[in-house]
Amino acid sequence: MSKTFFAQRKLSVSRFCSLPLSNALGRGWGGVAALQRRLLPLALFLLLAGLLFPQPAAAHGYLLRAMPEDRAVLERPPVRLQYWFSEDLERDFSTVHLRDQNGTILATGRVSDENQALMTLRVPPDLPNGAYIVELRTAFASDGHVVAESRVFFVGEEVGDVAGQAANARAHPLEIVWRTITLSSTMLLFGLFTLYAGVMVPAWGSPVHRSGWLPPRVMNRLNWLIGAALAAVFAGNALALVQQTMTFFNVDFAAALNPELWSVVRIGSRFGDAWNARMVFLLIVAGMFAASVVLRKANPATVRPVLTANAWVMALVIGTFSVTSHAAGSQVLPWVGIAVDWLHGVGVGFWVGGLAALVLVLPAALRPYTDDARRLALLAALRRFSRYAVASLVVVVASGIYSASNWIATPNDLTQTSFGGALLLKLLLVAGLVGLGALHHVALNPKRYARFAALIRPITGFIGTLRLEVVVALLVLISVGQLSATPVPVPEDAGQDITPPSATQALDDMQVSVTLSPGGPGVNTYDVVVTRENIPVEALNVRLRLVNPNADWRSIWLTAEAVGGGLYVAAGPEIDAPGQWWTLVDLGQGEAMQRLAFAWDIQAEAAITQTRAPSVSNLVALAVVIAALAWVVYPWAADFYRRLDLNPTNVTVAVGATAATVFLLALGFVILQQTQQRYQARLNPPPQVVNAVLPDQDSLQRGQTLFEEACTAWPNSRDFLALRRELPLLRDDALYMALDEGWRGLRGCDDLTDAQRWDVVNYLRTLDL
Amino acid sequence: MSLPMFLAHGSLGPYDELIFLGVSVVFLVMMGISWFTSRTEEPPADAPPLDTAAPKNRSEERFRLD
Repeated sequence: MSKTFFAQRKLSVSRFCSLPLSNALGRGWGGVAALQRRLLPLALFLLLAGLLFPQPAAAHGYLLRAMPEDRAVLERPPVRLQYWFSEDLERDFSTVHLRDQNGTILATGRVSDENQALMTLRVPPDLPNGAYIVELRTAFASDGHVVAESRVFFVGEEVGDVAGQAANARAHPLEIVWRTITLSSTMLLFGLFTLYAGVMVPAWGSPVHRSGWLPPRVMNRLNWLIGAALAAVFAGNALALVQQTMTFFNVDFAAALNPELWSVVRIGSRFGDAWNARMVFLLIVAGMFAASVVLRKANPATVRPVLTANAWVMALVIGTFSVTSHAAGSQVLPWVGIAVDWLHGVGVGFWVGGLAALVLVLPAALRPYTDDARRLALLAALRRFSRYAVASLVVVVASGIYSASNWIATPNDLTQTSFGGALLLKLLLVAGLVGLGALHHVALNPKRYARFAALIRPITGFIGTLRLEVVVALLVLISVGQLSATPVPVPEDAGQDITPPSATQALDDMQVSVTLSPGGPGVNTYDVVVTRENIPVEALNVRLRLVNPNADWRSIWLTAEAVGGGLYVAAGPEIDAPGQWWTLVDLGQGEAMQRLAFAWDIQAEAAITQTRAPSVSNLVALAVVIAALAWVVYPWAADFYRRLDLNPTNVTVAVGATAATVFLLALGFVILQQTQQRYQARLNPPPQVVNAVLPDQDSLQRGQTLFEEACTAWPNSRDFLALRRELPLLRDDALYMALDEGWRGLRGCDDLTDAQRWDVVNYLRTLDL
Repeated sequence: MSLPMFLAHGSLGPYDELIFLGVSVVFLVMMGISWFTSRTEEPPADAPPLDTAAPKNRSEERFRLD
């Protein structure tokens, strides 16, 4: 940038700063000046207060289920600790420690391999009676926030003076700093680019000014503002990476500057992904802007395209914030949440960023003019900006309602939670901003709103009230930062205490306990604990099979991994519906296996659900967003409609083609659905008869005896060999029918009751080759 | 076919990388289009003056800055 640019920049800034308020405000609006003088220090005070007194509990996720519950008193030590969260966790930065009363770490756990929202810890065997403290340090993937809390459980009896610590996640002061810097500068950049392309050039532009179509004084002011905002946004993002490194690694500022640490965060977390994408987009913006500044004399035609095109890239930058926002952790349609949040950010950028950009550019633009010329120049810009602002406001309000509907389920969520309080504060400030905007809108259309003439009489200069609007907008941005750092209300059904299904059976001299966690439809872990006289039995071969008898469906055999202490673990999503389920457990040493069978009544309430269907309020709010968008694009759509050649032939072809397309799409969808249903029904039709006998060891022994007595011809038949080969493909009802009616060359077995036939079916299942 | 995860670590679903990249491509294309159109597009014609005393390029809708 040349010396002239810097010289002019200095001059512009000094003139802007020294612009007498009385000139800008116009006569008769001294109250605004006084109010502004009070609000500016107030805004600064609130900003500092936000930095000095960070808000607690910044994380967006919350605990859905804990096993064991906090302060649970257990007769026996648990096999493992499990904590399910509402969002995925950062695998590399989340830990759980188990300590005894003396603070000694007994075991350390981590995020489950099967479920990224589950923290799990294997409890050492032979835990003596006493109090135990579980320290959770969870890093939520959606926003990188880390929550540390401790919980307690007791083995034997409760000890009175031991207590856990609730989540103690105070927002890091540095986080508020970088969020304020990046949010403000991003919005200002977006506002500058959109204001230039959508307001300044159409209102003030002229090809006479070859570089950017605006006078050099305006272009210099724009360049200075863009350069400053870019510097701020890069600085803010650098701080963001350092702060996130401090949070993830629990280190101080100096240690977080180590590239070996922050590069791990940059590469190995979702925060890092969003950060990388943001930096790429910002580098594109900065590179193009730098080129336009360097080439503004040699190739002035590049300036306008660069500034116009950069608005699109800045929209992407705003999108990177939405990827790591509250919306990303929403349990209701997270993708819709992210899109609406992005829409919200873009609307705020148009409105607040554009307003700030306008106020910062106006002094330079209007400098040569006085009286009526000044008024006309101002009105030309304000009228165009007003249209954008009204459209943005509608989108911001509608998208804000949708975002709030994701978290505010009851009136209590609004009035009795910190999130609701922060939201109400933001709404109050936005209402003030809307009021000021409405006054400007009325003042710009005095004939249309003649009845409000008295209300707008004091608004003669606009700049004063525009500055006041910017101050209120700054307060709104601070309240947005506060809202972002405030935990969302935890749904009432989260954290419910549901005991996982568990049962113990004896097998010879061993005790075998099986536990399904969490015990609802979805991904479960299957824990098998084998003891002999309270001593863990190791080196067993253990395998499990899940059976849904009513659907005549069985899983493949799952090999349970021995993790020590007599615990054998498997996991999977086999249980996919509530109702009756069986777990078949084969265990033994070498080839000799013995069978245990457990029957469960699986409850839907026990499922850990990270997603839920949209409620009526969600859908209504989404409809409001769509209506707002339709309203915003209506002028362009109407303009497009006017340009269409609507002769009868064209209309007929268009309507016919549209109707045919919709019909074919609908037909294709229906055919696809029906084909899929038929395929599923053919693959696994409802059984004609349902196996009513649990295939435990007794049933298998009865079945073997009955088979040897009643099916004497089967063992020596080649068809029986074929049947054994096809056992994995044959369902229980087919085997039942085979025993009754025969199968290929095999004749039906003699004189078996229904129950006996099921015993034989259960036995035949053990003969697969 | 399993897609390599290089954005968002697949945390928003199996196709989040594709969606993010798709949105980015759409916006970068729009950026290119706006680049080319703004190279040739003229500002709106000066509106007729409301005030006959005002210069021809000045109205409440459009004011060419000197």
